[in-house]
Amino acid sequence: MGLTSPALVALLTVATALLLAAILGWWPRLAARGVRPVLLRVAALAALQMSVLSLIFVVINNSAEFYASWSELFGTEAGGGGVITGQQATAGRGAGHAVAPVTVTASSAVTGPGPAAAPGGQVQAVTFFGQLSGLRVPGFVYLPPGYPAATARLPVAVVISGELNASGQPYSVGRLAATAARQIAAGKLRPLILVMLPARIGPDQGCLDVPGGTQAAMFFTEDLPQAVGSGYRADPPAARRWALLADSAGGYCALALAMTSSQTFAAAALPPADYSAPPGPAEFGASPQIRTQDNLDWLLRRQPMQPVSVLFTGPGSAQPFLSGARPPMHVGQAGLAAGKWRLAGVIDWLGGVLRQPPGLRS
Amino acid sequence: MGLTSGFFMGLMIAAALASVAATVWLWPRLASQRIAVVAGRLGLVAATQLLVIAAVLVFFNGYLGFFGSWSALFGGGSAAPASAAGAVASSRPIVVTGTDLGPVPGGSALPETVDGKLAAKPPHVYALHPAPTALAPAPGLDLSGGVASAARYVGKVLQVTLRGEHTGIVSAADYVYLPPQYFRPAYARTRFPVVLALTGYPNDPWSIVRRLALPATAARLAGTGQIGPAIYVMMNVSVALPRDTECTNVPAGPQALTFLAQDVPLAVERTFRAQSGRSGWAVMGYSTGGYCAVKLAMTDPYEFSSAVSMAGYYTAVTDRTTGNVYGGSVAFRNENNLDWRLGHLPAPPVSVLVTSSRVGEKDLPGTLAFLRLIRPPMQGYSLIVAQGGHNYGTWQRQLPQSLEWMNRRLAPARPQAARPPRG
Repeated sequence: MGLTSPALVALLTVATALLLAAILGWWPRLAARGVRPVLLRVAALAALQMSVLSLIFVVINNSAEFYASWSELFGTEAGGGGVITGQQATAGRGAGHAVAPVTVTASSAVTGPGPAAAPGGQVQAVTFFGQLSGLRVPGFVYLPPGYPAATARLPVAVVISGELNASGQPYSVGRLAATAARQIAAGKLRPLILVMLPARIGPDQGCLDVPGGTQAAMFFTEDLPQAVGSGYRADPPAARRWALLADSAGGYCALALAMTSSQTFAAAALPPADYSAPPGPAEFGASPQIRTQDNLDWLLRRQPMQPVSVLFTGPGSAQPFLSGARPPMHVGQAGLAAGKWRLAGVIDWLGGVLRQPPGLRS
Repeated sequence: MGLTSGFFMGLMIAAALASVAATVWLWPRLASQRIAVVAGRLGLVAATQLLVIAAVLVFFNGYLGFFGSWSALFGGGSAAPASAAGAVASSRPIVVTGTDLGPVPGGSALPETVDGKLAAKPPHVYALHPAPTALAPAPGLDLSGGVASAARYVGKVLQVTLRGEHTGIVSAADYVYLPPQYFRPAYARTRFPVVLALTGYPNDPWSIVRRLALPATAARLAGTGQIGPAIYVMMNVSVALPRDTECTNVPAGPQALTFLAQDVPLAVERTFRAQSGRSGWAVMGYSTGGYCAVKLAMTDPYEFSSAVSMAGYYTAVTDRTTGNVYGGSVAFRNENNLDWRLGHLPAPPVSVLVTSSRVGEKDLPGTLAFLRLIRPPMQGYSLIVAQGGHNYGTWQRQLPQSLEWMNRRLAPARPQAARPPRG
């Protein structure tokens, strides 16, 4: 009879019931005084006990499949008896469709400051392909002067902007690259790589993984570091040398990433606002818990703080983040007059933070 | 009084024996055939049975390592680990809470003469008494005298408390096995590959040391040159016992996936001479730990390059112990279903080895179904034994081949090149 067979369960059940009935029925016969009746009582109780425990063991073993056979239970099962086999890859379905994580589509030089027009680095138009998220995101990469010849890995600032292509605007590709080139030439900023992405990489400006929808957080925290690391001489995020820079369109996304993914981003600079209205879909997987997880105010009050430095810069108020953030999160505000976007100062701050992240270098 | 302490075990056995004695003693007084008296007999026998069963359950809980403490069983704990971690400077992600566990417990395949103490103190000794004076930071491990020389031959198992820097999750009573090479001068600057090993649910990580005998098996295979040295980090798959978190970033709850996939590697890389990056990291586990090992590799392929799942499952389960881990969202639950991921999302660039058995493992059909869904760049391998249930004996038989399979995919720890002779 097998260890897992139903017949064994039935047998033990019947045996237990019979033993219990016998004990209760023949109780008076064992009630006499003397050594022999006492020993018989003990034996009767022990027999019932064994029967009950065996039944419990067999039932539990059947439901959890701890032991498959008597030989296994008693430790006589020996030998590996298995061979590792590789699964034959089914060609066709998805196979052979490897897409490069980053493709350069165009490139142009950035003119440095001064009458001599010193080299200011270059800007590449690129397409990122998220290997895990499946997202295809167009963007730009700024490489500082001297990048092709150097060997050192560089820190990375990821810019999330709603006006990359609006020439002349503060957070346009041209202004971002020119500002970085000018600050580097002036010696105020150590060379870094700017990765510039649109504020809308999915159907909206949200930046978390939408269940069944856009996996934006996975793109920013997994795909983007892998793509940038494969295409450029960039520091890995674990070096704490990745930061975020956002305009008002990308602010919510940047703050959400800073508060939930500090393992990728060590710092963020963004315009102050109350950030109380998530830009994601209202339904959000039909789950109140998931919508709660997307609420930055709730994260601030209820989740453990993450080790990240956030600078609010520009006009407006950054409450409740200024008063609500606790270590290891650090929040500051650089108050500026309305309409003034001192991009150079913000980029300098980021460069400084990336050079010496607070208390995290090992 | 600890759930797994010898005192509590003794108390339960004493109570069971006392109830048997009392029943035998009271037997003659219940000898009449009135209905009330017969009911009294039944009650007496039932009480005896229950006490004996309770004693047996307490024994098997300790033996198989299901729940390590009362708080793990009933919840509401976490005070002890939190204070243990909080007592130390918050800049240390890993605090060593026990070092004299013996060189490598859990195996007799090792030279027992070294230091003469293979037998370890049971882990609850440390869990219950996290004496602040015993807390030593891991860098500059205080391995003086005999222990240090022993470590050079068989390695060392440390009990640690690990604090997640980004999730705030604290996991106490986990174990780290450092291989013997870690203590040898030739490897003094070598960074070692790391295997993250996860328990099932419910389980205590001590089971990986003692029942699965992972450190002992790794030491034996490394001793004969079948695998290279590696650091083994042995952790509880559930970060919020008694809740079964299924290594999920629970919406509005513990971010267990980020903790295991991001915080743990960062903490280990900052504390030990461990490799960083996917080529130096693999993850393995059994049962729930198997599901989580594959899930970690599939969702964080840039952290882990390979995964071994022993008797795991590949769908997103929910039951009484998990609670609402998916926030009530079908779409989010789908994303935690590994079969669904393979059908709907780009395949990640990782290798997985799944094990099962033809007789005795009810997850065999699910395992084969998962294998069939794997497509490039993901690579699937299987190890199906003829017979074996859902137990440590089966997993022990699969362990050597699994370790060799992982070893072939990890960047090896190389000793420093010998200095070239002068002249």
